[in-house]
Amino acid sequence: MILTDDEKRMLEGDLGPVHQKCMEYLVEECEVSGAERLIDLDGTGDMHVPQTSMSPFYEFPLEQLQELVDSGAHFKIPTFANKSPFPCPTPIHGWKECGMAPHNEEVYHQKALREEYMELYRKMGMMTTHSCAYYLTSTYWPTKGQHCAWNESSAIPYVNAILGARANIDGNFATCFLGKAAYYDMHITENRYATVLVKTERTIQKDIEWDVFGFAVGEEVGIDVPALTGTVKPTTTQICKLNSAMNTGGSIRMYHIPGTTPEAPTLEAAFGGRKPVREVMIGEKELKHAYDILNYRTGDDVDFVSLGCPHYNIVDLMMLARKLEGKKCKVRTWIMTLPWLYDVAKNLGYLKIFEDAGANLMSGTCPACMGGVPQGVKRMAVDSAKQSYYITGCYPDTKLEVCYGTQDDCIAAALTGKWSGEWR
Amino acid sequence: MKKIRINGKPEFPGIVEAEALVSPKPLEGFTNCDPTNGWTTERNHPLFKVPYEGKVLVYTTPRGSGGFMSYGRGKTPAAFVHYRGNPLSVSCAMCAHIPAVTDLEVDPTTVIETGDMVYVNGDEGYIIVTKKE
Repeated sequence: MILTDDEKRMLEGDLGPVHQKCMEYLVEECEVSGAERLIDLDGTGDMHVPQTSMSPFYEFPLEQLQELVDSGAHFKIPTFANKSPFPCPTPIHGWKECGMAPHNEEVYHQKALREEYMELYRKMGMMTTHSCAYYLTSTYWPTKGQHCAWNESSAIPYVNAILGARANIDGNFATCFLGKAAYYDMHITENRYATVLVKTERTIQKDIEWDVFGFAVGEEVGIDVPALTGTVKPTTTQICKLNSAMNTGGSIRMYHIPGTTPEAPTLEAAFGGRKPVREVMIGEKELKHAYDILNYRTGDDVDFVSLGCPHYNIVDLMMLARKLEGKKCKVRTWIMTLPWLYDVAKNLGYLKIFEDAGANLMSGTCPACMGGVPQGVKRMAVDSAKQSYYITGCYPDTKLEVCYGTQDDCIAAALTGKWSGEWR
Repeated sequence: MKKIRINGKPEFPGIVEAEALVSPKPLEGFTNCDPTNGWTTERNHPLFKVPYEGKVLVYTTPRGSGGFMSYGRGKTPAAFVHYRGNPLSVSCAMCAHIPAVTDLEVDPTTVIETGDMVYVNGDEGYIIVTKKE
């Protein structure tokens, strides 16, 4: 592979041990991925915190991070924190009332925030957005064609398909600190064209249709780049549903909606002037099949509801507040949003409405990230394909059942304790 | 014994021969992988709770969250063999540091059966399958 003179000096340790470790990581990433060089990033980055590397072979200790900060080092690109710190992301807000040990315990909460790392990262310039959908509150986005290093599978199509910037799932300390990434996959124009044409029978337009459609597209398209036809123009909520569901059923880093997304003014442009390699029909049968996979239940009694995967945006919260105002939840209900929206929701009066309805507004995490649901829950309701499909992985021994449907289905379940959703 | 050579590309260097565990469905990580026990916890998955430690884990493509790298942590396979990769399989290989081969000329899940012996050459990027008796 080709390294610049500056990159070679970093690799040789001339700029210190952390630069060296990060460059070793990037060189290995090039070797593994087949990239022939690094690309200088001119966009933005995000990383899962607090680990200093995605690979255990390139982590370095807290003391070394402290030394780096003491030397005045900063992240090279604007860098945001993705969700609450690992290993078990705890709620940033709403933790006291969440009813799930140990997340509702003061000592655990303080420790789980990993402030020893976060304090140093903030000094390096990290903006601690702590959300899987952090880009919704970051107030700063890359522009079309800029190279970025993002993480989080549901965010990757946002940067690639929606913003037209370029990123792989490689947002981490090395890429954000050095402002460089391995030049492969979605950084390269050729790899961004569609190869699969996706058609539908019905027009995809409702929130749940985008979610179920996304899961089905993921399962059918796998790791390829699809051009999606047969849809209306999606809302922000629907984009987030599509992106997260496509990266649950499959691994779709990039897609096109001709006439809507920035790199596909036309269907022909989406394919770069070539013919599709294959066509996929996501018809009624495929949608119903995906809906049935996402429902994992034998009964209708619901004892827990979780909304907000990916984290609810401000319009989602407004709509939910409108629907819950003056009502009382019969079962425990969590509403997940972005930490930077929590005070906004409070100032707009939504938090009070949720509290009065007995629902718990939380931020920065989700049940799957928290490692499960409150003890004793047997059957939960969700409005997210991603949450439905991942939460059961936390319960391989004691089965947790999941009712999956619309936000309205979930609200009805929260108010009555009964599931009444069905595919329409 | 019938031996079949399939060419591909190196993903991570190293050479190993071990028994195959074939995933007929793409694998998914995050909560749907339990690296402590070394098995998938994806509901309805054909390999649900089937241990892969010490096996050559054969699959078509990675899918799902960046947490796919869990397959490279904790109890790991002896090697990864997959038809096509992407940044998920790249970061997984970087976590595991075990031989890995990708971009094979045929989908290995159509040739290899669980229990076959697979020689994985991650240095040169090919595999040799010895079919079980």
